[in-house]
Amino acid sequence: MKYVDEYRDPGLARGLAAEIRSLVTPGEVVRVMEVCGGHTHAIYRHGLEELLPPEVELVHGPGCPVCVIPMGRVDDAISIAETDGVVLATFGDMLRVPGGKGSLLEAQARGADVRMVYSPLDALELARREPDRHVCFFAIGFETTAPATAVTLIRARAERAENFSVFCNHVLIEPPLRAILETPGLKVDAFVGPGHVSTVIGTDAYRFIPEEYGRPIVVSAFEPIDLLQSIAMLLRQHAEGRCEVENQYTRVVRPDGNPRALAAIAETMEPREDFEWRGLGALPHSALRVRDELASLDAERLFTLPGARIEDPKACRCGEVLTGQIKPWECGVFGTACTPERPLGTCMVSSEGACAAFFSYGRLRRPREEASEKAPIGA
Amino acid sequence: MTIDAEHCLTCGDRAVAARVQSVDGLEAVVAVAADTERVAIDLVPEARPGDLLLCHAGIALERISEDAVR
Repeated sequence: MKYVDEYRDPGLARGLAAEIRSLVTPGEVVRVMEVCGGHTHAIYRHGLEELLPPEVELVHGPGCPVCVIPMGRVDDAISIAETDGVVLATFGDMLRVPGGKGSLLEAQARGADVRMVYSPLDALELARREPDRHVCFFAIGFETTAPATAVTLIRARAERAENFSVFCNHVLIEPPLRAILETPGLKVDAFVGPGHVSTVIGTDAYRFIPEEYGRPIVVSAFEPIDLLQSIAMLLRQHAEGRCEVENQYTRVVRPDGNPRALAAIAETMEPREDFEWRGLGALPHSALRVRDELASLDAERLFTLPGARIEDPKACRCGEVLTGQIKPWECGVFGTACTPERPLGTCMVSSEGACAAFFSYGRLRRPREEASEKAPIGA
Repeated sequence: MTIDAEHCLTCGDRAVAARVQSVDGLEAVVAVAADTERVAIDLVPEARPGDLLLCHAGIALERISEDAVR
């Protein structure tokens, strides 16, 4: 397939793997966190870890928006869905996420009108087609998905939609990165930055990582060749004594992102004071809410929500997986009480979740020598 | 927007590269695999037939530079 095969070429992959091997110092482990769940999925799906020397350790980050949504917000969505005359529309991955009172799929089985859509614009179209019902879009996602919600809100406002609202749970990438970077005993030396979030926010948005925290970051696309090239770029920075933001995904990502997308988000949404993240706790200004000017389209003002804070199941260690402190298979319930069919934690729900990705592709982690401590790259 | 089942729509890791066939206001018809889809082009209103767009959740996020692809 054009523009896919080129990025999966085995010869190129072997060449990049050889370059990566040439760039590491034997026995000196470099821990690279891929922030985005899409990268995690691609790494497992294509077996990229098998191509890397033991000196490159991949750490899976918090970039799966399904995985970081707290259970209380799922319960809020269920509460909306169970309101008479309401259709709750959302992306397919959200349907199976367990809240404190089960999942949206289970609410649907009890009679709630829950529908899967591919776009918030599809939810608005549902509202047009069913004027006697109120359609609420359960919006989640990082800056990649927020522009679609923003465009939908702008269109809903323009057509004075009276039976449409958004339950806004959009989150921002910078606050969790800062939270990880400020984790005591941080075990991450370098970052592979998210590709499509960066399409929207641009590469300049990551300058705080090298400038304030002394870690390099390379924004990467999602194919195997892209990821191997990004890892090689990080190692080359280390070898050359550099610590900066680099862009591997030049075919789409620009330094300033997409200003129109950022303007649409700013026009319709504003940062919340704080937002609860699974695994990271409450992070200030880490999520978006619908602006006051669009109050009639804001589900949080239209519905009375339980707003409960629900602790994760004690056996579930999603939080530690999301912050790179443990690998999926180090969680006691991985693959036993927690499977993609019956997920206990959100990392097992989404195909982007580190646990689901590892489970699905069944890779046994190759033996590694104990990671030796080393200074962060570029520090 | 069609997306393969192995990937999560939510974070758009596989936002789809799609070729514009026609444009009507802020909507474009794009070719995706063997099918066509309608996407909103509010964020890339300069899109024209023949352009390659990065599409996600029913909207085009960006034009793809084919020079960089090559």
